[in-house]
Amino acid sequence: MKCEDVSHLMPDYLQGELPSQQAAVVEQHIAECSECAADAAMWKQLAALPEEQPGPSLKPRFEAMLASYQEGRWEKENLHKERNKFLGLGAIVQWVRTPSLSIAWAAVLLIAGFFAGHYFDRGKTNDPQIAGLHQELQSMRQLVVLSMLQQQSASERLQAVSYSLRQPGADPKVLDALLHTLRYDNSVDVRLAALDALSRYGGRSDIRKGLVDALEQQQSPLVQVALIDVLVELHDSNAIEPLKRFQQDPKLDPSVRKRADWGIQQLS
Amino acid sequence: MTQSIPDEELMGQVRNGVGEMLGQLFERYQSPLFNFYLKLTGDRSVSEDLVQEVFLRILKYRHSYHPETPFRAWMYQIARNARVDHFRKKRPETALEPEMAPAVVPNDLTQEQQEADLLHRALLELTEDKREVLVLSRFQGLKYEQIAEVMECEVNTVKVRVHRALHDLREIYQAMERGQLLRNPRTKVKGQRPSSGSLQ
Repeated sequence: MKCEDVSHLMPDYLQGELPSQQAAVVEQHIAECSECAADAAMWKQLAALPEEQPGPSLKPRFEAMLASYQEGRWEKENLHKERNKFLGLGAIVQWVRTPSLSIAWAAVLLIAGFFAGHYFDRGKTNDPQIAGLHQELQSMRQLVVLSMLQQQSASERLQAVSYSLRQPGADPKVLDALLHTLRYDNSVDVRLAALDALSRYGGRSDIRKGLVDALEQQQSPLVQVALIDVLVELHDSNAIEPLKRFQQDPKLDPSVRKRADWGIQQLS
Repeated sequence: MTQSIPDEELMGQVRNGVGEMLGQLFERYQSPLFNFYLKLTGDRSVSEDLVQEVFLRILKYRHSYHPETPFRAWMYQIARNARVDHFRKKRPETALEPEMAPAVVPNDLTQEQQEADLLHRALLELTEDKREVLVLSRFQGLKYEQIAEVMECEVNTVKVRVHRALHDLREIYQAMERGQLLRNPRTKVKGQRPSSGSLQ
């Protein structure tokens, strides 16, 4: 019997799942063919690779992740219920969002916009007025973000963070509030979201400095690791010194220390 | 212990919003997943990160789990994707690492440790797809049918791959034993780091 004839039996033979008659065929071949015998021996030899245990930090990390996830999700569900109760708009919003209607809406808005533009043009409404409206809209948004960041519920604060991203350009007050959130918010999720939002302004040196400062105050390993990653992505070599200091902290989580090591390596 | 509750039932509850049940699945699979990744990457800290990532994804995508379908196949699918995504992101910096790894087996290891170390190095020299199919079949206790589900291919394809992977591994191992690969390590497997400390 040739090797090719045995090769399709070999995988099942190795797993011990071949009926005894076929297994005997394979064994007979192995007795004659040193190549196939060596393959089969290799399979057995793999048992020499030991079973390893993950480090002790894995479980606490998992538990922290689960806890923060549940906190966030629970609040989101509640918020959803409340919103539907108070506004009763859920169904309407759903209806408006259906694809065919969206297209119809888009068409209606386009036509309305065209006529409005036409009308305003005739009325000689000039740019300063529009600019004024723009500015008003901006400050409204800023106000909404700032007040929402003060909310009790973590999910509302999360919404505030994502709302802040819709603003074109960087509003200094909003950025300040986000930095404050990154440092002091008591929900890990909200802090992570704030970090994500801030990382878009990583080109600004004041934001990078804010991120470095926040690193030294963080208690949560998740946020610490995320912060290190962002700083590395921004290639901010000014972060090296603070990272080194940060790394000296004896209470630091070992996996964070490792990440900091990695960060310093990447930056230097 | 609550070993008697099947994985599928636990995951069904997680899917329905009982997040605590994920803790039991974590207890069962943190170690198998960790070993899966360790054999594939040779890097303990990356492996731990990836285990964490798998459970995060299980929560995130819990609605994509179909109740009563095998949980393990679904979990290993997530595990594969998590690894692919991880190395897609990290590739530029980790690609350099094989050269930095020591090229000789440290002398202060026992004979079994040296053998295990050499085996692991040989395993890391396999191409990624071969290494993966071999680890899944040899160490993760998955049957070929289940691996076919994980990899979304035919059972026969899995069997052929396992056999080829084993054959390649044997050749690499023998070459390493003769000392050929130690002088001239093949570093074409990107994103992987031969283990220097993980097996001691």
